[in-house]
Amino acid sequence: MTKDYTLGKVVVPALRGVDLQVHPGEFISIAGPSGSGKTTLLNLIGCVDTATTGVVSVAGQDTKLLSERQLTHLRLHTIGFIFQSFNLVSVLTVFQNVEFPLLLQRKLDKAQRRERVMQLLEQVGLANHAKHRPNELSGGQRQRVAVARALVTRPQLVLADEPTANLDSVTGQHIIDLMKELNQKEGTTFIFSTHDAKVMNHANAVWRLADGKILDRLSASEAQRAMASGSH
Amino acid sequence: MLQLFLIAFRNLGTHRRRTLLLGGAIAGVTALLVVLMGLSTGMKDTMLRSATTLATGHVNVGGFYKVTAGQSAPVVTGYPKIIEQVRKDVPELDYVVQRGRGWVKVVSEVASAQVGLGGIDVEAEPGIRKVLQMKEGSLDGLKEPDTVLLFEKQAKRLEVKVGDTVTLSAPTMRGTNNTVDVRVAAIAANVGLMSDFNIFVPNSTLRSLYQLKDDTTGAIYLYLKDVSQVPAVQARLRQTLAAAGHEVMDNDPRAFWMKFEVVNREGWTGQKLDITNWEDEISFINWTLTALNGLTGVLIFVLLVIICVGIMNTLWIAIRERTREIGTLRAIGMQRTRVLAMFVFEALTLGLLGTLAGALFGLVVCLSINAADVAVPEVVAVFIMSEKLNLAVNPGSVVGAMLFITACTTAISLIPSFLAARMKPVTAMHHIG
Ligand SMILES: Nc1ncnc2c1ncn2[C@@H]1O[C@H](COP(=O)(O)OP(=O)(O)OP(=O)(O)O)[C@@H](O)[C@H]1O
Ligand SMILES: [Mg+2]
Repeated sequence: MTKDYTLGKVVVPALRGVDLQVHPGEFISIAGPSGSGKTTLLNLIGCVDTATTGVVSVAGQDTKLLSERQLTHLRLHTIGFIFQSFNLVSVLTVFQNVEFPLLLQRKLDKAQRRERVMQLLEQVGLANHAKHRPNELSGGQRQRVAVARALVTRPQLVLADEPTANLDSVTGQHIIDLMKELNQKEGTTFIFSTHDAKVMNHANAVWRLADGKILDRLSASEAQRAMASGSH
Repeated sequence: MLQLFLIAFRNLGTHRRRTLLLGGAIAGVTALLVVLMGLSTGMKDTMLRSATTLATGHVNVGGFYKVTAGQSAPVVTGYPKIIEQVRKDVPELDYVVQRGRGWVKVVSEVASAQVGLGGIDVEAEPGIRKVLQMKEGSLDGLKEPDTVLLFEKQAKRLEVKVGDTVTLSAPTMRGTNNTVDVRVAAIAANVGLMSDFNIFVPNSTLRSLYQLKDDTTGAIYLYLKDVSQVPAVQARLRQTLAAAGHEVMDNDPRAFWMKFEVVNREGWTGQKLDITNWEDEISFINWTLTALNGLTGVLIFVLLVIICVGIMNTLWIAIRERTREIGTLRAIGMQRTRVLAMFVFEALTLGLLGTLAGALFGLVVCLSINAADVAVPEVVAVFIMSEKLNLAVNPGSVVGAMLFITACTTAISLIPSFLAARMKPVTAMHHIG
């Protein structure tokens, strides 16, 4: 698939023919320099944006054939998205932000929601901040709220745009462990973009992206080696 | 659903300045609207009450008597029988009075004036006391024969005080001029246009001036309990009076003094009855009502446009933030319709609270203006027939205004949200500008 952004009369090709397949239960990392199209790719997979050409299929469904309503439904029930810029709802508390997708789903009652939200906040280490507003938190804390919000619905597919970029290595590691655990226990599929070699370590596979094209698909160890040689 | 309300409330609370600004603007316009409407209905009320008491009933049985084809007098002969029939035929009646009418020259030692003359039986007139305020003397003075009630303006022009004598001079039905000397018994506060060309004397004085018989009067004024019954009563009287053998003139919606020309041109002699309503008799000042309505309408329209532009402006400033939030909610999986419902609720809350505050404030202003007994400038007094400002608030129209403004502001404030909800989530999330 391809994706062009049109800025006035200038057409910016952000993705120039990307073809990839992710199987259920995979733990995939997308690596690449800034501006290579990582966010763009995740947006397309996450159905918050549409491809210029080509087909995006999620859970076996061609997203081009779905109505806006069905796409929204898909985002709510199947996909969890951790945005690069967090995008928390500023007027809601941490607890309410994390609870929000559950409310939209209308599957759990109040007590069940509470239990689920508090469990996740504990896992991301923010149980003590449940009543805070996003603007009272640090960048890293906000990122962890975003992680909790993406995971709270136990989605089949989690898309994470640089989920550890703002975290210290210990917390980052903790978040990755959490994701890994979910991946193994519940078979959740993860696709995340990252710069961080340590994070790539945990991936089944690493896709290297440059200038809107996929350079190669490497195993975690191959990627490590490639990065290491690249940095010298 | 609760969460929708919660976000909406939180939004209002978080953007306190914007909320106060918008809410204040909405409240201000509502208050202004309420005061304006109060002013306009108050003026209309005052005007109609004054006019209907001084110059017309709700329904009138008047008429013309012609000795020869070319000469008519605006009188009703044999009125006691007609009043009797009216009482029988009109159960909607509140009270009925009869008044002599004429057109006379008032002469004092220094000046003279042509005025309309009303003959009244003060004791039988419950309404007139409520409308006329005495500056000098008292209405009861008119119980004595050969007395006159003048308005302040006329008294000033004629340079007379209570107790002074003026001469009334008028042509009688037989074509000769007759005069009568009357003592000024009361001077009433001006009631606008009416006070320029109306004076009142006891009916007996009017009869002797015009050499009328005891059972002759100018017109019978019917006051109804409910003004909306006027057309029905008018139509019924037309039928029953004709059935009782009276000649009834065709309907002509003008004041009686505008009809002489037409009546004089017609060939008949004797008595004909003319059944009119208050709108006919004051049709010549009705344009002021129309003008007042028009003015209120224009003012309200201008105000609404201003507030709408203001709201748009304020909201466009907040749109960046708002658009991002909408993008995020949509990306998480909130349906368009629910996003919109949330913002409708927010706008509705703001609109209703704003208009409620505004309406209350407007009511307080109206009540305090009424309590303060504000005098109006003379130009205005001429039209509204009162020297005091009276604001009448109609609860129905206040609620109507509140709903209307809420609807307008909600519609306006929804435009940005609507546009944002239509965007692709990612476009909305990264919206800059
Ligand atoms: N909304 C947009 N309009 C126009 N061009 C865009 C838009 N978003 C991204 N681009 C362009 O598309 C290309 C890919 O951007 P993208 O955000 O996907 O990169 P990225 O790999 O996520 O970078 P980073 O690591 O800095 O987040 C860049 O050249 C960028 O300038
Ligand atoms: Mg990016």
